[in-house]
Amino acid sequence: MGLDYQTVLWNSHKKKYDLWIAIGVFLYLLTFIGITILTNPETTAETLIIRAFGTLAIALLHIVLLIGPLSRLNSRFLPLLYNRRHLGVSMFLAALIHGAFSIIQFHTLGNTNAFYALFTSNLEYDSLTNFPFQVLGFFALIILFLMAATSHDFWLKNLSPKIWKGLHMMVYVAYAFVLLHVFLGALQQQPSLWSISILSIGFIVIASLHLKAALQESKIDKQTAIKVEDGWEFVCTVDEIPEDRAKIFIVQKERIAIFKYENKLSAISNVCKHQGGPLGEGKVIDGCVTCPWHGYQYLPANGQSPPPFTEKIATYRLKKIANEIYVHPEGLAEGTAIEPIAL
Amino acid sequence: MKENKDFYVGYIDSVAPKTKKTIKGFVLAAFAILLAIAAIFAFTQNTAKNSYFEFGVDTKITGIYHELPYPMLQVKTEENEYRNIVLLGFGKFSANPYLKKIRNTTKPLSGSTLSIEGNLIYYNGKTLIQITDEEKVVLVTPSDAAKIPQPIAMVQDMELQGEIIDPKCYFGVMKPGKGKIHRSCAVLCISGGIPPVLATTDENNISKYYLITDTNGAPIHQDILPFVGKPSVIQGDVYQLQDWYQLRIDVSDIQDLNQPSTIY
Ligand code: HEM
Ligand code: FES
Repeated sequence: MGLDYQTVLWNSHKKKYDLWIAIGVFLYLLTFIGITILTNPETTAETLIIRAFGTLAIALLHIVLLIGPLSRLNSRFLPLLYNRRHLGVSMFLAALIHGAFSIIQFHTLGNTNAFYALFTSNLEYDSLTNFPFQVLGFFALIILFLMAATSHDFWLKNLSPKIWKGLHMMVYVAYAFVLLHVFLGALQQQPSLWSISILSIGFIVIASLHLKAALQESKIDKQTAIKVEDGWEFVCTVDEIPEDRAKIFIVQKERIAIFKYENKLSAISNVCKHQGGPLGEGKVIDGCVTCPWHGYQYLPANGQSPPPFTEKIATYRLKKIANEIYVHPEGLAEGTAIEPIAL
Repeated sequence: MKENKDFYVGYIDSVAPKTKKTIKGFVLAAFAILLAIAAIFAFTQNTAKNSYFEFGVDTKITGIYHELPYPMLQVKTEENEYRNIVLLGFGKFSANPYLKKIRNTTKPLSGSTLSIEGNLIYYNGKTLIQITDEEKVVLVTPSDAAKIPQPIAMVQDMELQGEIIDPKCYFGVMKPGKGKIHRSCAVLCISGGIPPVLATTDENNISKYYLITDTNGAPIHQDILPFVGKPSVIQGDVYQLQDWYQLRIDVSDIQDLNQPSTIY
């Protein structure tokens, strides 16, 4: 099945994750505001709010960006991926409070429109020391807004997964803008080895985890068939695939997944219709291939989501010679039924 | 069955023990990261100044109205002791719109005694007042030209290093009210008619403040905007009127030092 996207799935996990997000946000604000009031009592409420929420947003952004590569490297992190949306939306809300208070404080009640003022009150776009850093924060906030606003599966369907995915990859652009926003802004006025270090370490950790996950995936993509017979490519032997699980294989640069279940073999595309999750890392549950990311399901024999859902993915023909599995690299139309190979 | 244990489906209410442990570890690590970031950003803030903005609190002041060339009220504090309080409007505006009505009732305004109710802003010996209602500017006695205080010429062609700030934010409304973080706001304030002020700091950390005017002593606003909120070197003639200096400059003499503003 796919998920019924019109109702939000409120299950006990989501509530538990939301509770932890709320506790984390609360502890963050308590720590930041508490330390500031104790060590810097002359500060103003506006500055305190702007700084507490700006730094909260960048802290949450780091955590959001860690979850993707971690769950690719180790499937035990997948529950975090499943529940990542609310963390992302919380991060946007924190950034929104920061941005809104900054715009009100620095740009309203003047002789021009606040948004016009944001772009024009400092025009030194060609200088690093004087760069209008708030503009960078503004663009980052727009990206985060578009992502939060379209984060529901309703938009995924309506925008098409490709456009949606492209939009959500912009989080890396937003991250770059935010780093520049801070390095060219607050850190120039109050530079400190500590804050520069923590942001640099954060960047190095996030970049290296992404690189590691990408390397791991490119290894899979570089696999080629060691034996080709009459156009059929050798995949592996039957016992190399665990029960109810799959082997991921590459044909014509497409990833496919060959599942072993109920003494049968079927091959389908590895790419989930929802957000492109790796079906071959999923599992057969109740006769359906279940995506490891958000649990969309497909029947292995025809690549269709069980009714009432309508997702369909390509299927591939298999052949078994003795104990060896072969696949025909040409995929069939999405949702085409193929008789599974009996073992 | 052992393979099954580690497969998580969000809508099925069971999580394998090892997965649970991993998630717990992640949540703990995330909390540690959050608190570390909170502590680092909180501790590394510059200390805010003990400046004040009495938002929502009205204070009535009475004195001689004059212009330096920006609207001011000379208030007598003791015998032969005066404080010149800079008059400001609401938000990022000058006091002029709030003086329109009284200007229509008495002419000239300079030299007349006014009583003004507004919100005080003060720091480091300087006081400013925000006027939010033209009805709270009341004429006490009409103009007497003899009462208008005159600035005295002090030094010619003096070179000063500092930052051009907007005094409303600097002396209390915002913290920080200067430097890069605050720059766009200062530009808007000065563009809205708030007088530009040069703030200097010497090696003993003593600050001096100069109201900036053109070489004829007339107000400058738009021409100085590119230099606001940045360390610069300025040349000009210094005048003094009791507790305020005035610096008469030619904007083209301002030298942008192209340094990040670090004096807070
Ligand atoms: C309309 C959008 C934004 C505006 C106008 C804006 C404005 C500002 C301003 C004026 C400061 C300096 C404040 C101070 O130190 O007193 C600042 C700092 C900062 N901003 Fe933004 N910002 C925006 C968006 C964002 C976004 C989207 C993020 C992160 C997700 C962010 C993160 C930060 C951080 C971490 C700092 C440094 C800490 C601080 O001083 O608050 N900002 N921003
Ligand atoms: S269920 Fe979301 S990607 Fe497969």
